Amino acid sequence: MRLDFIEVCGFRGFRDLARINFGRGFTVITGRNGVGKSTLCDAVEFAIIGSIGKYAVEKAAKESLSDYLWWRGEGVPKAHYVTVSFVDDNGKPFAITRRRESGADRSADEIHAALCRGAAPDDALRQLTRTSIIRDEWIAALSLDLTETERFDLVRSALGALEGSEAGNKAKEVVTAAEAAHSKGEAAYEAALSRLSDRLTQQSETQAALSRSGDVSFALQVVGAAVPDAPPELTARLTAGRNELANGRARVARLGEAFQLSLDVTAVQAAYSDPITAANRKAASAAHEAAQSEHQAAQQAVSEAEQCLAREEEMDAIATSLSLLVEHGERLGLHDNHCPLCAASRTSDEFAAGLDAARRRITSLASGVQAARAALATAKENARQSSLTLKAAAAAAQTHADELRRLREQEAAQVEFYNQWGIEHRFIQDPDGLEQAISLERNRLIDLERALLVLEASQAVSRMSSIESNISALRAEIEKLARAVSQSQNAVTAAREIERSIRRVSGEIIDERLAQISPLLNELYQRLRPHPEWRTIDYTIRGDVRRFLSLKVGDGLNPQFIFSSGQRRAAGLAFLLSVHLARAWTPLRSLLLDDPVQHIDDFRALHLVEVLAALRADGRQIICAVEDTALADLLCRRLISTATEGGRRIDIALGPLGATSVVTEQEIHPLPVGVLRGAATA
Amino acid sequence: MDIFTQAEILLRDAQYETWTWTGSTGPVTCFENAALMGFIHVFSTADDLLSTWKESQQVVLARHAASLRGAGAKAWNVYSVFLTPDQDMGRGREIERIEEDFSLTRKIAKASIITAEDVERSLLPLLPIRSKPLLGASNFETRLRIRLKDISPDAVTAFLKEATPAEVARILGATS
Repeated sequence: MRLDFIEVCGFRGFRDLARINFGRGFTVITGRNGVGKSTLCDAVEFAIIGSIGKYAVEKAAKESLSDYLWWRGEGVPKAHYVTVSFVDDNGKPFAITRRRESGADRSADEIHAALCRGAAPDDALRQLTRTSIIRDEWIAALSLDLTETERFDLVRSALGALEGSEAGNKAKEVVTAAEAAHSKGEAAYEAALSRLSDRLTQQSETQAALSRSGDVSFALQVVGAAVPDAPPELTARLTAGRNELANGRARVARLGEAFQLSLDVTAVQAAYSDPITAANRKAASAAHEAAQSEHQAAQQAVSEAEQCLAREEEMDAIATSLSLLVEHGERLGLHDNHCPLCAASRTSDEFAAGLDAARRRITSLASGVQAARAALATAKENARQSSLTLKAAAAAAQTHADELRRLREQEAAQVEFYNQWGIEHRFIQDPDGLEQAISLERNRLIDLERALLVLEASQAVSRMSSIESNISALRAEIEKLARAVSQSQNAVTAAREIERSIRRVSGEIIDERLAQISPLLNELYQRLRPHPEWRTIDYTIRGDVRRFLSLKVGDGLNPQFIFSSGQRRAAGLAFLLSVHLARAWTPLRSLLLDDPVQHIDDFRALHLVEVLAALRADGRQIICAVEDTALADLLCRRLISTATEGGRRIDIALGPLGATSVVTEQEIHPLPVGVLRGAATA
Repeated sequence: MDIFTQAEILLRDAQYETWTWTGSTGPVTCFENAALMGFIHVFSTADDLLSTWKESQQVVLARHAASLRGAGAKAWNVYSVFLTPDQDMGRGREIERIEEDFSLTRKIAKASIITAEDVERSLLPLLPIRSKPLLGASNFETRLRIRLKDISPDAVTAFLKEATPAEVARILGATS
């Protein structure tokens, strides 16, 4: 399998359709910097895996490589796609086209099936492009500059030592499954132990209960007396007895409350009936009655004084009218010896005496008003004083009435409590009797509880045998579970042994394979001759879980730190080429090199050309992009072109609008043979 | 070890045609394949090599000038190989610097050519890749079975076949 052609349109720097037909033997692509030589390698990689791995930084300024995959210059491409076609040794083609709009026309599995075989590594297509396309910028980065673990992984992937990896993953899963089964078994074992522990505790308690058991028949009598209506079964009797015990305790509590109520009421009654309190109450009542009488008398006096005042005021009014009449008569004087007022015949003396008498009478009538007013004021003051006295006496009497009312209320509440809980009324007046009854009930309950304990203990006998048989079963189960735990532990150990063995066997296989490719690495190193002194390169592998691959020259020196830039690249090329050649899992025999001679002097560039010629002589297809036309000439001369595996040289350049196009394509024909013997034939 | 003979064996193995031509400076082994051609000169001492390599080259090229002129681009692919068994280390570096002279031919110049391996190493630029790692089947399964001889074969078989990890764990528990 080798590359047949690539066709790009609207891809990166190629705006217009460009097709590169590769020589079956080799193809040398030339062009100045930036014309798109690398894009041809990009196109191959993109077609195979759908991305370009050389851009380590995925995003920069919010843009990623995907923003630059397709043409972004002037003009509009007719289409955006990449086609890469391979052809196998029988001439059967296999093409992959990836379009901007619709993606690839081949599934990853199809591509994998065509380009990989046997025990391919994980992510095989990426490994394929990584080890088939040697880019300038990756020569050192993918070889000497790799960490030792990355370098080991690269080589392991290239070797395709996959069985160990797959089996290792499965072994890890087996370990996990075995550990899970073991944990489950251990949990069951622990749970059974816990249950056994509970049963043993129960057994001890039951044993203790048994030791407390007394006269069962007496206990039965006690319980029978306590719950005469209970069913004959012991369990039912025990339940009824326990209920009766609970009820009895509640009853005793209520009797206690009733007793307390009785004590309270009795204390209040005693206080109410106390002689001093009774005398006080009587005195208050008498004082209240006296105050009432006094108050009524005072009110009567006020009423009378008011009536008196009214009369006096009426007399006073009459006196005033009389006074006016007298004054009028006096002013008129006798008229023909007749009184002007009553026309009676009067003498002057009689008339004057009559006027004096009238005036005395008037004076007499008017003089009682002041006295009547004073009498009324006095009567009212007396009435106010008596009212205050009455109020105080009424309050004192009310206090005693309230005490009585409260007493009656307490007595009523007590009766209500007795009625509510069915307590005999005889105890209302007999707290001592109630206290005695409570004491008797409490004793009865203690006897009942003891009887119940005795009966429960007797039940424990039968429970004991059940517990013992349970313990025996649990011990058998624990034995079984312990064996299972032991087996699952062995399974975990065995699973770990499998995992360890896989790691070791696959490690040994990789070590062996590395040992097998070591001469190849050394040969390529010797051919490329990066350093005049250190003519060989060695590797060392260490680590068990994480594996490290170190490259050493001379007396254990790390070439990464002692080689110049050009020497590092030459040593890196030796490493990458050895990795490329060691792949047994791909039929692809194409090696693409993108400007591999940068920073390498002419002498070492010549060595590289000779190495590529050796690879070409081995039947590999070499595709090499270079900037230097002289180097391109050298490659075209040194890489063998045959009638069936010819070479091509392609020059690409930028057009006026900045789009890349193929300028020239040239077949490189086989060189003449038999030159030195003078029988040259083309 | 005869350097000429050993060189011819290697070159013929690599599909070169080889033959000997003897000129005024002594015998020379000529070789040619589809892409390359050249001449192997062997000198008894390093001094001899350093003092006469140019003359030897000139003599041979002059003798084959007509053929080379007619070779077209292939005329650029001419190698002159200068070898000596002399182990003079001091002169060895001086001899190797001849290779950096790009005039007329591509040169391979080595001293201390004692063994067949030395000849092969010096002619590597002319030879195809020598190391061909035989990365055959790893026999992983067989090797793993041998390694796991203390584990139940049923469990190992279940592991290597399609059994699920849980099933393998169960078998391991049942058989251990």
